[in-house]
Amino acid sequence: MEDQMTWTTTVNMEVYYWWCTAFMFIIHAGFLGYEMGASRMKNVLASGTKNILAFAFVIPTFFFFGWWIYLAFPTGLIPDMSAETMAAGAPWAEAMGPNLADNATGVFWAAFALFAATTASIFSGAVIERIKVTGFIILAILLGSVVWILGASWAWHGDGWLLTEFGWHDFGAAGCVHLVAAMFAFGVLLNLGPRIGKFNPDATANEIKPHNVPMSVFGLMVLFVGFFGFLGGCIIYNGTGQWTTIFGNPATLSAIAFNTVMAFAGGIIGGWAVTRDPFWMMSGALAGVFATASGLDLYWPPLVFILAVAGGALAPIAAKWLENTFKLDDAVGAVSVHGVCGAFGILAFGIFASGYPNGDYPDTNFMGQFIGMITMAVLGFVPGYGVSFVLKQLDMLRIPEEVEILGMDIVKVPVTAYPEGMQSALKGVPAE
Amino acid sequence: MGSPIESWEGATAYFTGAGGSTPMIFLILSVVLCVGLIVHGYIDEEKTYKKHK
Repeated sequence: MEDQMTWTTTVNMEVYYWWCTAFMFIIHAGFLGYEMGASRMKNVLASGTKNILAFAFVIPTFFFFGWWIYLAFPTGLIPDMSAETMAAGAPWAEAMGPNLADNATGVFWAAFALFAATTASIFSGAVIERIKVTGFIILAILLGSVVWILGASWAWHGDGWLLTEFGWHDFGAAGCVHLVAAMFAFGVLLNLGPRIGKFNPDATANEIKPHNVPMSVFGLMVLFVGFFGFLGGCIIYNGTGQWTTIFGNPATLSAIAFNTVMAFAGGIIGGWAVTRDPFWMMSGALAGVFATASGLDLYWPPLVFILAVAGGALAPIAAKWLENTFKLDDAVGAVSVHGVCGAFGILAFGIFASGYPNGDYPDTNFMGQFIGMITMAVLGFVPGYGVSFVLKQLDMLRIPEEVEILGMDIVKVPVTAYPEGMQSALKGVPAE
Repeated sequence: MGSPIESWEGATAYFTGAGGSTPMIFLILSVVLCVGLIVHGYIDEEKTYKKHK
């Protein structure tokens, strides 16, 4: 009987993370639609191809070294080279393949690999319509299989130094996923430069219209579904006891359900209040989740709603500010939605949720959140800026001007997105 | 290569070649394949751009 209970617990754990991983794939379907819709018609398939390749190259490289980085670096920059860590995460370890004595490593690895691919997708949308594919792949691997997972080792690990030294708390990975990916994208965008036609000679900005807003809006709604897998993967299934977070505090899926749904709703309303634009309403929903992600396990739902409205409203305002201040051409507002709102959420946690116990480690507190926020921002920005700078010097970052004007699909993609064209209602439809 | 086990009784790591040297060969090959395909993609991309200049 006891044996049967143990097996039920083990298999339930596998099943739980299996389906979280499956739902996280839906995030990629959403990002794909979001990004392709935000492209102009001449680049739609090239944008989609780039997004898909980010996923495809991050997964194997996350097997080669990403998982090991997570397990080896929780104390800082010096890796734990112990036999135990190597046996758990080195790509040649017996745990890293079919093994009847280990039901956990595969499903945890897959869930984290999907988080990794999510960071690459966040970055992917920001750089559409002018980045070289191979330069992009190198950057996506760096972000997805090195940078974010190093951040996760520090900020999303039971022994991570930000928790053990400073009492950091970030349930939904606003720091290591969203802020890191956004600051990485910010660094790359500074070197990549805006699309041709984005800015006038007097530095005023033009709007480069997406070719298919409905596709982007639908993609964003699909993303919401995927986020239930993402946030489900943020909680630890203990089988015979209460759920816990990665930080060790008890939690319930009910808590996450209350707050996730409230956050999406608040974010939509915030985006609507400021713009009336469905693109920003749906981006606002994401911003609402990132603005509350750190405390989705602890917040009172009405507080989540208020923070999410603020996040949803902040996203388009911050995007405009970034555009004007840095001449940033971020086609999907990734730096604002994931970065500014992620940072806002991390700090908001310090204001509204200080004093929760962390066992032997410091209680949650504002300074811990502030230090973690700065750490994640720097961790994302420095490699993004540095490596993209090197790629730029090697002419591996930006496509030639003629190709950009002509469109990437016609130059590089062997199929056509809309062979019969798309009829705009504005042009009028001839009568039958 | 092939099965590393003779019985499922008490089996742990059972992937092809477990405990031997072949998994390392496939690991190295898969790393080389990834790097090689990125290099190939780069060469192909540059050729395509040159054609359209």
